[in-house]
Amino acid sequence: MKQLPRRRPLTTLVAALGLSAAVALPAYAEIRIGLNVPLTGFAAVDGKSALEGAKLAVAQANAAGGVHGEKLELVIYDDQAAPKEAVPIATKLVAKDEVVGAVSGSYSGPTRAAAGIFQRAKVPYVVAYAVHPEITLAGDYMFRVASMGEVQGRAGARLVADLGKKKVGLITVKSDFGQALAAGFKEAAPKFGLDIVGEYEYALQDRQFGAVVSTIKAAKPEIIYASGYYFTAGPLVAQLRAAGVTAPIIGQEGYDSEKFIEIAGDAAEGTLVTTSLDRDSESPATKVFLADYRKATGAGADMVAASTYAATRVLIEGLEKSGGKGGEALKSAIAAGTFDTPIGRLSFNDLHEVRKDIQVQVVRDKTFRRHSVISDPVLLAPPGRPAS
Amino acid sequence: MLALELVAQGLVQGSIYALIALGLTLVYGLLRILHVAHAALFTLGAYVGVMVYNATGNLPLAFALAMVVAGLAGVATFRLAYQPILSQPPFVALIASIGLYIAAEETFRVVFGASGLSFATPPLQGQVALFGGIQFKTAELMVMLGTALIIAALGWLQTRTRVGVACQATVSDPQMAESFGISLRKVRDINFFVGSALAGFAGVWVALLNNLVEPTMGSVPSYKALAIIVLGGLGSVRGTLAAALVLGVVEAFGTIYLGKLLDRNAIAFAFLILVLMLRPQGLFATR
Repeated sequence: MKQLPRRRPLTTLVAALGLSAAVALPAYAEIRIGLNVPLTGFAAVDGKSALEGAKLAVAQANAAGGVHGEKLELVIYDDQAAPKEAVPIATKLVAKDEVVGAVSGSYSGPTRAAAGIFQRAKVPYVVAYAVHPEITLAGDYMFRVASMGEVQGRAGARLVADLGKKKVGLITVKSDFGQALAAGFKEAAPKFGLDIVGEYEYALQDRQFGAVVSTIKAAKPEIIYASGYYFTAGPLVAQLRAAGVTAPIIGQEGYDSEKFIEIAGDAAEGTLVTTSLDRDSESPATKVFLADYRKATGAGADMVAASTYAATRVLIEGLEKSGGKGGEALKSAIAAGTFDTPIGRLSFNDLHEVRKDIQVQVVRDKTFRRHSVISDPVLLAPPGRPAS
Repeated sequence: MLALELVAQGLVQGSIYALIALGLTLVYGLLRILHVAHAALFTLGAYVGVMVYNATGNLPLAFALAMVVAGLAGVATFRLAYQPILSQPPFVALIASIGLYIAAEETFRVVFGASGLSFATPPLQGQVALFGGIQFKTAELMVMLGTALIIAALGWLQTRTRVGVACQATVSDPQMAESFGISLRKVRDINFFVGSALAGFAGVWVALLNNLVEPTMGSVPSYKALAIIVLGGLGSVRGTLAAALVLGVVEAFGTIYLGKLLDRNAIAFAFLILVLMLRPQGLFATR
């Protein structure tokens, strides 16, 4: 008689895979907060920074005695930056881990997918650096500490004007973020009398920009506003400089990684970046964060680490005000609060989008240094909740 | 003036496409396999090139090792993955090839990390000004020269040496070639070695141009090179070369003038559909 194949090895494997997703399983926790981060897959670099940021915030809070004497536990899941992973993770955090609040240390795709689940469960969800507009529209339990693309785009236009330039070359990455930045930039451009002399788009997979570089060179802009991420911006900036383009280049949060400087090399010098972390800040919140982060990880912090740390801090300070309670009490505490974080002083509007300054950093001697701060509450006002 | 610069940039990109697609054409001509995993050897070459250069500072050595490692990996791919399934219908090999490519991409990620590698001090980054004020990065100029040289050398080998003639004979009639004492196995090994070494060569150039080597850098070339060999008339070396250069130039113009409508990486396929409608045998096929 033929025997059926044994199933045990497969089930064991599946169980092991499932377990490996949950890095920290507390024995029993007093107060649990959830975190979804991409620890594997294409976004793993950002996931690592985000994880370190969140862990640092929790460790500091616990070292200071926890929240009302109760210890905090961070429950971490790897979402691989994939929406299909985020849904079961959010469900698990809500139903099994019973977190009082959660932080997204991930990209827009998975964060959007998880948002609805946290909203239905009335679990406050603080989003660190995912910028898609739909996220906060999921409901009033959503909070975002990152400035939306269109806000950063407006800040870019203002920076061009502050630098005394008029003729702008626009290079846009074909992603939601790139489109939102370009929309914000173009919306504010007439206000500052800017003239867009050339406008080009590229795909996220592109690393060779020969054609765009040649064309932008021919258009002779005084300054270039180019959106992208370190892996596209590094090659782009290097190729612009190699072709003899000397106009200043303005990038955004996506550039804010030491990897950008590593890839672009000497060409990175002088690149301006509108972002949320000021490495030369005098604010105690920023200085403590930068020092502790370096002590904990041995590396310099980037925008993603600082933003995820800030998001986690917002949740923890909210818990301190709500007396450790989640739900409605925590939501109201966060909505009404003002928070001093390494990405500046934050408060939220009626859509729970952040109000904060935009930091301008410049690459000098292979590090990001302070260039200026854009503090203009009217220009940088995030969109409010649409009337329904 | 701008048009001239765009043509030049198109030729730089086209040279890279040519190097990658050539190996694919060699394999297709010989075995009728659509070898998607070829792009993994391009990535492998790039990693080897960057690591060897960072360790030794010797660029020729980096190129040589990248080509040898990619070449040997190509032969191993053939022997371990394709040879056992040669008697199966072609789609079996195609599926194996796609699986192999995905596995390779994940292996690069696990072994070398997701964020990729860069040259510590990238070589050949200087600028060269040509007639008419066209400015090139040294690496851009060298990639065109390097491609032209290596392809000329291959052409010479193929027509003037015993091994080359044996390869050609095997492509046109394997059974007859075998009966004349040509070892099929040897010819196939040589073919995979040469084709894969070219991909590794291309990988190092792309690393030099972008100063970034990532696990996923082969994903766009993997399917674009397929479009190129179809455009070139499947299995024709000259057709592939011409198609690669034409596509490079079409993309350069397309990025600027159609960029809003059509993604650069979609242009290859729009162009492919157009050509197949008008000339189903491919742009440069003789038959």
